[in-house]
Amino acid sequence: MVSSTAPDRLSSTLAALADPTRRAILARLSAGETSVTELAKPFRMTLPAVSKHLKVLERAGLIARGRSAQWRPCRLDAGPMREVAEWVQGYQRFWDESFDRLDDYLIAAQAKEKKRDRKR
Amino acid sequence: MIESANSARPDMTIVRVFDAPRRLVWQAWTEPQRLAQWFGPKGFTNPVCEVDARPGGALRVTMQAPDGTQYPMAAVFDEVIELERIVWTGSVDHDGNVSFAVRQVMTFADRGGKTEVTIQAFVLRSTPESAGALGGMEQGWSQSLDKLEDALAGG
Repeated sequence: MVSSTAPDRLSSTLAALADPTRRAILARLSAGETSVTELAKPFRMTLPAVSKHLKVLERAGLIARGRSAQWRPCRLDAGPMREVAEWVQGYQRFWDESFDRLDDYLIAAQAKEKKRDRKR
Repeated sequence: MIESANSARPDMTIVRVFDAPRRLVWQAWTEPQRLAQWFGPKGFTNPVCEVDARPGGALRVTMQAPDGTQYPMAAVFDEVIELERIVWTGSVDHDGNVSFAVRQVMTFADRGGKTEVTIQAFVLRSTPESAGALGGMEQGWSQSLDKLEDALAGG
């Protein structure tokens, strides 16, 4: 909910990760670099469909691809994932701290109510 | 859409029990002058705090950090069930571009005079780009993310 320091990359990372096929591709790549053909095998998808997903992952900086024309191996880049993890942690911290303050507020509000009731 | 958020696994869950009756906790969430007193990280104030707690109503808060930096946030109430449940969806936008949305489901449960508050967050994708190839909204990246991180740590 609170803005992050690296917003554009974070949102493109989140968008890229929001798709199950792309997550499966990343999981596969965590075992090591491989070719597009190899990647396409378990997904029952056409090569162009897989390439589309790879482009999204590449734009998000989650994968890097080799430049040789014949065999363009795909490789995982975990950097942006750390930003997602940071965003999640930031969110958690936001609510932890808000809840600490809510705790204090509720104690103070109840003390006030008691005082008022006694005066009646 | 709210149904799907209910059935899907939340991306984040935060639970806290407060030593206060549910009525008071509810008021602290739905009355702007009360919400302004606790919402946000330690040391923050809320110079703007507007809460229209009914379906379709808006939540607008501008949080101010101790250094004076302001962080505006906005959300729309999807569902409000008195004393029990609030659902709102907030857009996380950067430089005027809505990049993704977070739906938050807050439930309030009476625990013998104390109140248990649970926040479940669902990250919704909303960019034209992310709506691309497969279309529709999808949720639940974070559990896969955990698995992926485990895999990375193992590799």
